[in-house]
Amino acid sequence: MSELKLALRLLYRDGRSGELTILVLALIIAVTSSTAIALFADRLQQTMGRQAADFLAADMVISSSSSIPESWWKKASELQLKQSSTTEFSSVLMENESLLLAGIKAVTDHYPLRGHLKTATSDLSNPEQTKKGPATLEAWIEPRILSALKLQIGDTLRVGEQPLKITRLITYEPDKGGDLYSLQPRVMINHADLESTHVIQPGSHIHYTAQFVGNERNLVEFKRWIKPKLNPSQRILDIYDERPRLGSALSRAERYLGLSSIIVVLIAGIAIAMATRRYGERHFNATALLRCLGCKQSKIIRLYALQFLILGGSASLLGCLLGWFAQEGLFQLLRDLLPTSIASASPFSLLFGFATGMVILVGFAMPPLLQLKRVSPLRLLRHDLDPLPSSGWLIYGLALSVIGLLVWYYTDDLRMTFTVIGGGLFAASIMAGIVWLLIKSSSKSFGRLDIGWRFGLQSLSRHPAKTISQILAFTVTLVAMILSFSVRNDLLDDWKAQLPESAPNHFAINIFANDRTPFQKLLEGQQIQSSRFFPVTRGRLVEINGIKVRKIVSKESTGARATQRQLSLTSSTTPPDGNQIIEGNWWKSDNEAVVSIEQKLAQSLKVSIGDKLTFTIGSEQMQVAISNIRSVNWDTMKPNFYFIFPPSALDAFPQTYLTSFYLPPGKKDFLNKLIEHFPAVTLLDVETLLNQFKMILSQLTAAINYLLYFALAAGFTVLFAAVYSTLDDRIHNSALMRTLGAKRSLIKKVQLIEFTVLGFISGLLALAISELILSLLYNQLFGMAHQLNLLLWFLTPLAGGLFVGLAGYVGIRHVMDLPPASILRNL
Amino acid sequence: MHSSPDKQSNAPIIEAINLGKKVSTSEGTLEILSSVDLIINPADTLAIMGTSGSGKSTLLSLLAALDEPTTGSVSLFGQPLAQLDEDGRAELRNQSIGFVFQSFQLLPGLTALENVMLPLELCGDKNAADAAQALLERVGLSNRTHHTPRQLSGGEQQRVALARAFVTEPGILFADEPTGNLDSKTGEQIVELLFELNREKQTTLVLVTHDEPLAALCQRTIRLEAGTVVCQS
Repeated sequence: MSELKLALRLLYRDGRSGELTILVLALIIAVTSSTAIALFADRLQQTMGRQAADFLAADMVISSSSSIPESWWKKASELQLKQSSTTEFSSVLMENESLLLAGIKAVTDHYPLRGHLKTATSDLSNPEQTKKGPATLEAWIEPRILSALKLQIGDTLRVGEQPLKITRLITYEPDKGGDLYSLQPRVMINHADLESTHVIQPGSHIHYTAQFVGNERNLVEFKRWIKPKLNPSQRILDIYDERPRLGSALSRAERYLGLSSIIVVLIAGIAIAMATRRYGERHFNATALLRCLGCKQSKIIRLYALQFLILGGSASLLGCLLGWFAQEGLFQLLRDLLPTSIASASPFSLLFGFATGMVILVGFAMPPLLQLKRVSPLRLLRHDLDPLPSSGWLIYGLALSVIGLLVWYYTDDLRMTFTVIGGGLFAASIMAGIVWLLIKSSSKSFGRLDIGWRFGLQSLSRHPAKTISQILAFTVTLVAMILSFSVRNDLLDDWKAQLPESAPNHFAINIFANDRTPFQKLLEGQQIQSSRFFPVTRGRLVEINGIKVRKIVSKESTGARATQRQLSLTSSTTPPDGNQIIEGNWWKSDNEAVVSIEQKLAQSLKVSIGDKLTFTIGSEQMQVAISNIRSVNWDTMKPNFYFIFPPSALDAFPQTYLTSFYLPPGKKDFLNKLIEHFPAVTLLDVETLLNQFKMILSQLTAAINYLLYFALAAGFTVLFAAVYSTLDDRIHNSALMRTLGAKRSLIKKVQLIEFTVLGFISGLLALAISELILSLLYNQLFGMAHQLNLLLWFLTPLAGGLFVGLAGYVGIRHVMDLPPASILRNL
Repeated sequence: MHSSPDKQSNAPIIEAINLGKKVSTSEGTLEILSSVDLIINPADTLAIMGTSGSGKSTLLSLLAALDEPTTGSVSLFGQPLAQLDEDGRAELRNQSIGFVFQSFQLLPGLTALENVMLPLELCGDKNAADAAQALLERVGLSNRTHHTPRQLSGGEQQRVALARAFVTEPGILFADEPTGNLDSKTGEQIVELLFELNREKQTTLVLVTHDEPLAALCQRTIRLEAGTVVCQS
């Protein structure tokens, strides 16, 4: 008989006798969850990426202050990249004796390549989606221009020398960025009309973009080709460059997805390891018999490996199928929150789910299985002759490698992978040590306890190795659940705090000193809350420690971008909200020759405390020393600055003021009043940007919530499975105790105490470890500050005790009513 | 120490009437035991014999209140078992019954001493350790008291099991193939010890075996075939 046939037959018999139930369940849970998460993450990522591309109106954009060279367009055509371009500039519009500084945007016919424009003719609440900009001789404008210039749809609007007919009102523009032109009231025209406006003259300040879509490989090749050709004013944009706020939210969400996958795989892996161990122990006799009947060690391993491959393959297939349904269900549940078109899953994700199943099986199930190779045929004569355990290195090495591979896959950071694995190993050995000490030191005092407590605790202390391994398994599962829960909570809280309901949706810049108080009063008169008024002086960083800055900074870096243009410099007596001093000290006196610099810029410029910076302000130069480095929360939608000076430092220079405020939806007309009173003030409307951002965050929030429920459900199921897989010995022992006259209530009490103590200790350890991991995670991965959660400190050990205790109790309860004879016979 | 309720009286210790046991399997109901009537008097020694699968162990577990019959009834020390719930039967087992199993059935995590102490601890005996120690000395294991079953040979494990069975001074002792897992020499020593202790403690003994010489040591023998009693002597 071929080995395959024999393996199939053995597998069938095991399956029929119920031996494989827990193992198969654990595998199915593992594969279902990792497939569902992989598919869900992949589709969500693609969808979000696509949405992010919508915000650029393309997959890749080159932003430039000079027109894009013809050769670049040619290269893009060679690479079959679809193209469009935009040209943006400011221009003063004059109609009906009113003036308005508008942001003009001339777009080519294929604009937008990604996403869509939303426009309306009358009913603004029900706009139409279009994939095309205005036709020639047409102008599409933002609604507020109508009231500011007393115009109506169908009227003529003159841009430069070209009269254009207003045909539609723009309510949504996908690539409306945060720069000056796009925040001014928008007028969109066709690129073909640009020349006849005669607005663009040599020396005009113009912002060009070239937009491209195409397949990823060609885009990457194009990017590589173009990078060395960029001059300092040109940049390549993708989602991460263009939207740092969105980028950080998205990458945090991606990391959370990755973390959830690792967590579910880890939890399931533990269940599989425990289930296989039980499987192995229950197969010692069968294996001894096979060996007795002449089966070689290698054949035994082949037989079991074949069975596991067949089992793993079928469970993984089933898991993939269930995982597919689970993520479909997830998308169905989220359909109101997610964009209407969801990217379809790549077959790779399905394959990933399957591969994960097999890898977990090999990593976690192989070590206990290999133990079977060592079963001695003598066991047939002496039942208590257990096989020698496989080498510890092999057992833990395999499982660790699997976890390491997964961590590496998700974080793409080798150093971090080693940190996690090293930290995990260190934590596990410390934990094992603590538990061992706890067991050894407490066992002497058991004598004074009542019989239930004594038996419960003694049963833990008699098998320290088993107790430690069970506590480690429960601890890891609990840690995984706590991590999933805490990270999700803090991530959501952090997002919520960044963007409260009344997050500022307008910026006002260029407020002259004389206008400051009247401006503030006008806002207050309308009960509109504004942030601080920051004085702003325009200046440029030119030297660091006497060396020209352009010789120091590297191309395409934050430092390069910050030093190639005039910066808004401000002064303040105290650090603004959301700013934290991370190095050095804030100044005590307001007239020191010092400056505070933002952390990322400091890193990019490679400067530290005490370095001398030279600024050019107007025609004068000023040298100051860095007194402190600040971390800045850029996601607050409040004014933020790279450089802050003590107030007296900038007094000598011309200053304007800058503020931000929240304007409720019904008060848009107030903007016109503001412009009327303060014609010199520039108002920037960031509401659209804010709404896009809020929408994405709410979608991510919902997705992350579901992932958490998934991880928790997997955790609870597996915890049950894990408890069940340790029950054999306990059921046997309790049957024997009942034979000798122990009452069921006593047995139940012993079990309850034993499991509750196991759970309680696991909960305590899990808490300590998760706090440690969380503080590392937040610093390294999410860039957030970690705070201790007192509720967690209180609840985790209790929940651990309660849950594991209950699982154990329920597990053993069903055999309590069976006569002891039948249990002793069956085991 | 605990003594059985009726150790000194002449009333039968076990009275089994029309005892039967059926189990359901995937191929239908299987009758393991049918219509067994049996009376066992104080200080009786009874061997239950029969081939493998004849129902010996099933009969023993029914008589010892380890299992419930499908038909018929068992009274132990005049107490009908059907009137007791599982906890009541556990209490009865603890106070009046001792067990010796073929596979020893010692708790693997406990030392020899702790295994012997266990039945006394279950009924709250404060002197459990002393009594267990004395009995372990009696079975010749005074120097092995702190060894776990894994560190003991089969013969030694069965001695511990004997000590555990006698430590509560039960009214009746059930032994299921007590020498089945032992070599003949060790088996003989165990049998010798079992009968010695039995005489000393005046315990009623019910022994399941297919070993003719062992059965011959008992006063009475019943023989089972396919679940029914075919011969009593």
